[in-house]
Amino acid sequence: MGKKRKHSETVVPAPKEDTAPERPKRTIMGWKDKTQVKEQTDSAVFRNKEKILVTCSRRISYRYRHLMLNVVSLLPHCKKDNKVESKSSKGATLNELVELKSCSSCLFFECRKRSDLYLWMAKSPSGPSVKFLVNAVHTMEELKLSGNHLKGSRPLLTFSANFDNDAHWKLIKEIIIQIFGTPKEHRKSKPYHDHVFAFSILDDHIWFRNYQIDVPHNESDKLARGGLDKMTLVEVGPRFCLNPIKIFGGSFGGPTLYENPFYVSPNQIRALEKKQKAGKYAKKVKAKTRRKMHELENPLEPDEFADMWKE
Amino acid sequence: MVSLMRMPSKNSTLLDEDVMEDDEMEGEAYESETESEKEEEEEGDVKLMEPKKDSVYDRDGLGDKLQDIRWPENVGWIHKLSIDINQEQEVDVNDDLHREAAFYRQALEGTRQAFEKLQSTKLPFLRPPDYYAEMVKSDAHMEKVRGRFLAEKRSREEADERRKAREAKKLAKEVQAQKLKERAKQKKEEIESVKKWRKQRQQSGFAGGDKGSEMDFAFEDGKAFERSSKKRPGAAPGDRSGGKARQGGKGKKGLETKQKNREFKNSKFGHGGRKGLRKQNTAETTDHFKAFNKGGGPGNKKRKR
Repeated sequence: MGKKRKHSETVVPAPKEDTAPERPKRTIMGWKDKTQVKEQTDSAVFRNKEKILVTCSRRISYRYRHLMLNVVSLLPHCKKDNKVESKSSKGATLNELVELKSCSSCLFFECRKRSDLYLWMAKSPSGPSVKFLVNAVHTMEELKLSGNHLKGSRPLLTFSANFDNDAHWKLIKEIIIQIFGTPKEHRKSKPYHDHVFAFSILDDHIWFRNYQIDVPHNESDKLARGGLDKMTLVEVGPRFCLNPIKIFGGSFGGPTLYENPFYVSPNQIRALEKKQKAGKYAKKVKAKTRRKMHELENPLEPDEFADMWKE
Repeated sequence: MVSLMRMPSKNSTLLDEDVMEDDEMEGEAYESETESEKEEEEEGDVKLMEPKKDSVYDRDGLGDKLQDIRWPENVGWIHKLSIDINQEQEVDVNDDLHREAAFYRQALEGTRQAFEKLQSTKLPFLRPPDYYAEMVKSDAHMEKVRGRFLAEKRSREEADERRKAREAKKLAKEVQAQKLKERAKQKKEEIESVKKWRKQRQQSGFAGGDKGSEMDFAFEDGKAFERSSKKRPGAAPGDRSGGKARQGGKGKKGLETKQKNREFKNSKFGHGGRKGLRKQNTAETTDHFKAFNKGGGPGNKKRKR
């Protein structure tokens, strides 16, 4: 591993003009031909240096913590940090923390009332931040999810087409690409592609799935014939469903750019449920009094046969 | 596995602040409500029927931000690895199976496209079989997954077998009944045919008309298959089993049950050998409280398993 890392580090910053065009360079995987050399120059212009801070609030429940750890294991380019107190001033703290760790974006798992999980995705210095409510969490530890893949291999990201329908979805998609895509030639990443993330919008929620790719092949750069048709996916996990609440202009704050018009907070839902339960007794009492009133209003006629047998 | 969304129809009362007034409707509504609540305890999700009027939607701001954070246009696909898949049909969110199938299809289609692209770059992108590295899930975890899978399979097979045995038993009963019926029928027919034959012979004027020469069929008086009490063919004079002992006890079945009984008794009381040492404590059993004072569950304690 150490060897590989060294090599990739030397390859990337190579100046493009003097070496690249003449002789194809040898990489770990083999010789590069011309097209790749051209791409190499491309990537020399652009280098994805995304680094993500992953952290959570205090008093997070174990399930959500496991979800966070799963996400950490999926993102080789992330840094996990200590829990942060979930106060109103957490935004400033987190911004500071992100800067301190020299990260460019942040995933913050905020657990409230030990039952509701909110996920913040934020681009750090100036970028937007999105707040999601997380539903339907299934962690990787669940035994029904039987797939497995390399730790740190770069995921393929698939999006459903309705991400391009609206402005806020477009923005969220871009953020997801930047956060969940592992940077090319990241030193902790592995060179092969053996898993795929599926993000799809259904019912105004973003559903996340992670599948292992199982495809027959002999060589590492070519599929076997008909391999694409024989390809199967096995789910690895985790699963979750994100319900966007708000998009802010700054990182952990700033002007609100978008607000989900359909959103109801879980607190409201619980309050309503309680209210309905409370209504039960009140209704009973009401029914009783109403009955009493009714009986008083319509007294029974005296029965003419009442004293018949008394004589 | 289920992520439940409450359907809009169910929460139509959600924002109505006043509680419903009609009493008999209320009871039912309450019932259904509690049921659904139980299901969605952990992942309840309710949407408003109507969008809020005053919600913010700053399209320009969103666009600006997108331009801010976006990577330059000429960035190669290899950096993004993102694929858009157009899902043709609408999927019901509450239908788990269809929903998951839709996600699967999306991922599969996306992977196919991505692999085609990757293949055209001529870079290695598939993991060679001899490339071993750390996996996301540990071997111990995968062992657990396998164990569960096998256990599930086994239980399924066992259930299958039980069901088959049950059906076979039912069938065997029917077959046996059928057989008996057939046998009785056959017997009747044979007797009939013999009677007929004799009648015919009498009618045609059989030469030796007297009784002595006529063949005597014992079965005519109905006692056909009873053994005569005096003569027991094949039985020794002192044999009380009527010769059956020599044929092998009370038939094969009796022998079997006897053996079974013996086996059972052996398992219960032990068979042969000295008992003394087996009943004594050894070093292991002294510290072993597993079987101690179990509260006298059903079954014989002495019985060895």
